[in-house]
Amino acid sequence: MKLKKGSFLWYLYLDKLYCLLSVRNVKALLEYFKLLDVHHNSTLNGRQFPKCFLWVVTWVLVINLDLRLVADVLFYHFLRHVTNWKRRQITRVFNMLDWDAVGEIGFDQFYMLVCILLAQQNHLEQQFIFRHSRPVFELLGELRVGQENFHMYNFLFNIKESELREFYRDFDITGDCRLNYKEFKLFTIVTMEKYQEKQKAENEKALLKMKTFYEVNENPIQNHLGINVSEIII
Amino acid sequence: MEETPFKASDKSSGRHDSVKSSSKSDIRNLWSTATLSQPKLNSRLTSVYEDSELESSSIDSKTGQWYNQKTSHDSDGVWEECNDGIDKVCTKQEEPDRHDGPRSSLRRHLEGDEDFPGTKMEISSSMSSLSILKRTPHQAYWVEQQNRLPLPLMELMENEALEILTKALRSYRSGLGKDHILTKQLQRYIERLKGRRNKRQHRSLD
Repeated sequence: MKLKKGSFLWYLYLDKLYCLLSVRNVKALLEYFKLLDVHHNSTLNGRQFPKCFLWVVTWVLVINLDLRLVADVLFYHFLRHVTNWKRRQITRVFNMLDWDAVGEIGFDQFYMLVCILLAQQNHLEQQFIFRHSRPVFELLGELRVGQENFHMYNFLFNIKESELREFYRDFDITGDCRLNYKEFKLFTIVTMEKYQEKQKAENEKALLKMKTFYEVNENPIQNHLGINVSEIII
Repeated sequence: MEETPFKASDKSSGRHDSVKSSSKSDIRNLWSTATLSQPKLNSRLTSVYEDSELESSSIDSKTGQWYNQKTSHDSDGVWEECNDGIDKVCTKQEEPDRHDGPRSSLRRHLEGDEDFPGTKMEISSSMSSLSILKRTPHQAYWVEQQNRLPLPLMELMENEALEILTKALRSYRSGLGKDHILTKQLQRYIERLKGRRNKRQHRSLD
């Protein structure tokens, strides 16, 4: 996934350690959310109810039907605008975030989504799952997470198929092919450790590369210019 | 989101002490503590942004004014105000600068290792009234504002929202029909947003 360059979300900064936005960023995000909240119900695709009591029953029937037709229109167009996700993926994310199945996305869910997007943009998926293991667990499933759930939302957290299989083999202690929160937490810790080891190895590799470069070209500036500096000094 | 907010709150509770004890602390911490002390914390972002344009243009002149006051050694007026009991802390903050002179403080400002609360106190001490002190935002906030976030933030957000909503309107029209109440509501909203944007553009041209 790539965020659209120059879009508002592109300018937000996600803290690399805690995987959260700063207060100022959240405030700006809230303003952005308010701009998209067309029906002024503090949600995307908010429901409208008339004040007159007599109309309530018919209105609710009609409007609910209509809102199901355009259930995720604003949400769809928002994600279509800022990401390169397909319709199928956007619908999945909407269903995942709309955990109480009301057909609306509130600011809490919107904030969560933006944090996931920014974590993905900055390649901090493992860190994000580790830091916010409880909300992520609740997003993936209610009390137990099956392998199919992970597979469905794989595009969000970038977990490889092989890793997933390995992970279910090693961490499914109860043996029901579903993970409870404790098993999931263990998974996040191990994934985080692996991620840190990978980072460390990459850093060492880069350092070694730099070191060998300086050893081969003892004085790279001198070699580049083709001048012996000691001669100039003399 | 599970554990961090508690940690953050713990940190924030102890932050006042740390700011007091150490003069050099993280700029973001300073901003957040400054914001907490501001009276207009719940003001809308638009108003903050509009204010920022005005204040940022005037802040240079304010600091310049302060610097001129210091260089002319006409310190009596300034120190009298401090001693009037408006803010006892400002005299304590000003003491080292009195000996170092304005040049050293300016150098520290340019080098970036300046103590921001101290600077705020210095600026505020030069201001002639308490109302200016109350209305002037924290300098660290403006430094961060100018360095990190794009200033025409509201315009960016509105333009982007307009693009998204225009696409949504097309979907509403095809899905619900032109005369549906939700479509009309969205259309009115888009028109209002466009009007606001045009108004702002017109104002900036003037």
